Amino acid sequence: MTVRALLGLTAFNAFLLGVGVATLAALRGWRSWGDLARCAGLAYFLGVSLFGVVLTVALIVGVPFSMASVLLIGVALSAVAFVLRAPLASWRPSLSPSREHGLGAVTFVFGVLVVVCMEALFRAGRLAGLSAWDAWAFWVPKAKAIYFFGGLDEQFFRELVNPTYPPLLPALEASAFHFMGSADVVTLHLQFWFLACGFAAAVVGLLAPRVSPILVWPFLLLVLTAPRVAGRNLDPQADFLLDYLFALAALLLALWLVEHETWLLAAACPLMAAALLTKREGLMLVGCVVMAALVASWRDRRYAWPRLGLVTAVALAAAVPWRIWFSSRELTGELPSAGALALFDNLDRAWPAFESVVMTLFDYDLWLLIVPLALAAIVLGFVAGARIVPTFALALYALVTTGLTWVLWAFTELELPFVQDEGVNPIVRLSASLVVTSAALVPLLLDAAWRGADGREDTP
Amino acid sequence: MRRLARAGVAACVLVAIAFGLVQLVVSVGRLGDTAETNASANYDDREFAGGNSLVVDKRALYQARALIPEDGTYHVVAGPSVEGATELTEPYIDQYARYFLMPRRPDPEAEWIICYGCDRAGLERAAVVVWDGGNGISILEAQR
Repeated sequence: MTVRALLGLTAFNAFLLGVGVATLAALRGWRSWGDLARCAGLAYFLGVSLFGVVLTVALIVGVPFSMASVLLIGVALSAVAFVLRAPLASWRPSLSPSREHGLGAVTFVFGVLVVVCMEALFRAGRLAGLSAWDAWAFWVPKAKAIYFFGGLDEQFFRELVNPTYPPLLPALEASAFHFMGSADVVTLHLQFWFLACGFAAAVVGLLAPRVSPILVWPFLLLVLTAPRVAGRNLDPQADFLLDYLFALAALLLALWLVEHETWLLAAACPLMAAALLTKREGLMLVGCVVMAALVASWRDRRYAWPRLGLVTAVALAAAVPWRIWFSSRELTGELPSAGALALFDNLDRAWPAFESVVMTLFDYDLWLLIVPLALAAIVLGFVAGARIVPTFALALYALVTTGLTWVLWAFTELELPFVQDEGVNPIVRLSASLVVTSAALVPLLLDAAWRGADGREDTP
Repeated sequence: MRRLARAGVAACVLVAIAFGLVQLVVSVGRLGDTAETNASANYDDREFAGGNSLVVDKRALYQARALIPEDGTYHVVAGPSVEGATELTEPYIDQYARYFLMPRRPDPEAEWIICYGCDRAGLERAAVVVWDGGNGISILEAQR
């Protein structure tokens, strides 16, 4: 909780941004410094994802963890991105001047309001103790174990709660400890502030040239200030990181479905891989987003499906080493104790599970009106004649709702109906995925509804 | 239909703006309260944070940090005889100690024993008391 730790954490996040900017240069490029600044949020998340995935795989194969290995991985990723700039030239869009909204009054006013919100969040996290149960029970201990013992310590990763949870977040936190100079679990909360800022910047940056600012900012502000988001997104655990990765992957896929720019699909790949290595629910969420994209691209399937399949395969491949690691050590807990398909032995849980999910998603005290507004935006999109984005969003919301229902139905140790005690029922944490995703998709849906069409063709 | 859709879009935006602005005020207020609470906490309370609901005597874990070398091992033996214990103390104190005392490793055969309301006479190995909090919590060094 020292200034040195704060500066170290800032340096770590600048380092991640640097890796992401190098990646963005290979995938997309930029037309001006202003354009690069607009894409900084996406670049940051590309850096978080790529660095996190590669570091996780490195730990799994036994590369010793140290400040040197952290720096080396970041430099190597940047170098590879630089080398790939030429071969990937055909992926990059032609960045002719496009319709820019500039810093208009709406952007200025809502930008200030978002800054006010983030400043309050920073103050709340600056001296926060490690109170969240999961955080001190296993997320942060795993990070400490990597930091202190230089890798995936057999003893701690076996004995700590949820040993099969993937280690991307603990690896990132351990790297942050190195930059901070100690295992400072108080300042660590601000790592999640950087992630929240990065997410907000990524959503605004991706949508700014495509959607009117009056559609982007109010929904972003609504999501950032929702009681559950504002109250818990600095907890040093993986839930909100997973939500950000999922939401940005969904947004990139939605844009790709409309614009067919290869770089959008390529950028979604590391985000999906990172989601798979962040929490076990990542597999379900990535499955849902890919399925939704397949459904929405039905008319275009000859073009879209092989590409989607390839990107999904690459993302899944990145998650295989972790599965081999924990399977080879006979660690369990990935699936319901009764088996993934033992649903029909517990038919009486199906309706209460579904009811709990719906009640949670519509709970005003948790999420305000975000999900009802998202559903309204989907309906308006269809009414106006848009097809691709509303179909994608409808499929995504339906699939994730089904997936969450399955979780409550299949994991019989979870009590029903829904209560807010996370120790009894994790549905509140899980439902955040759709809420956070709404910040990215609702503006796109409303834009499609306003214009009666899915997207613009001049916005790389 | 286009007009209907546009009216709906406008309504959604207005609702989002209205609720977002109201909630911004509420959230900033709550976050400010949280910041004040965090700032007013003393160093111990901030460091223990979640452990405050189950750790009875903070001195014990600080003593454990001081006594047990960083490459050392320890074993937490929990029992019901702690004055002021909560219902979380006995089942979770070993988990919390694992987080708090890292890089020290838990080990059933460890030289150091953290007795958290345990029955000292019932310990499998002879041990001498190195620190005693006087509330059922003590730190012992096992005899080899």
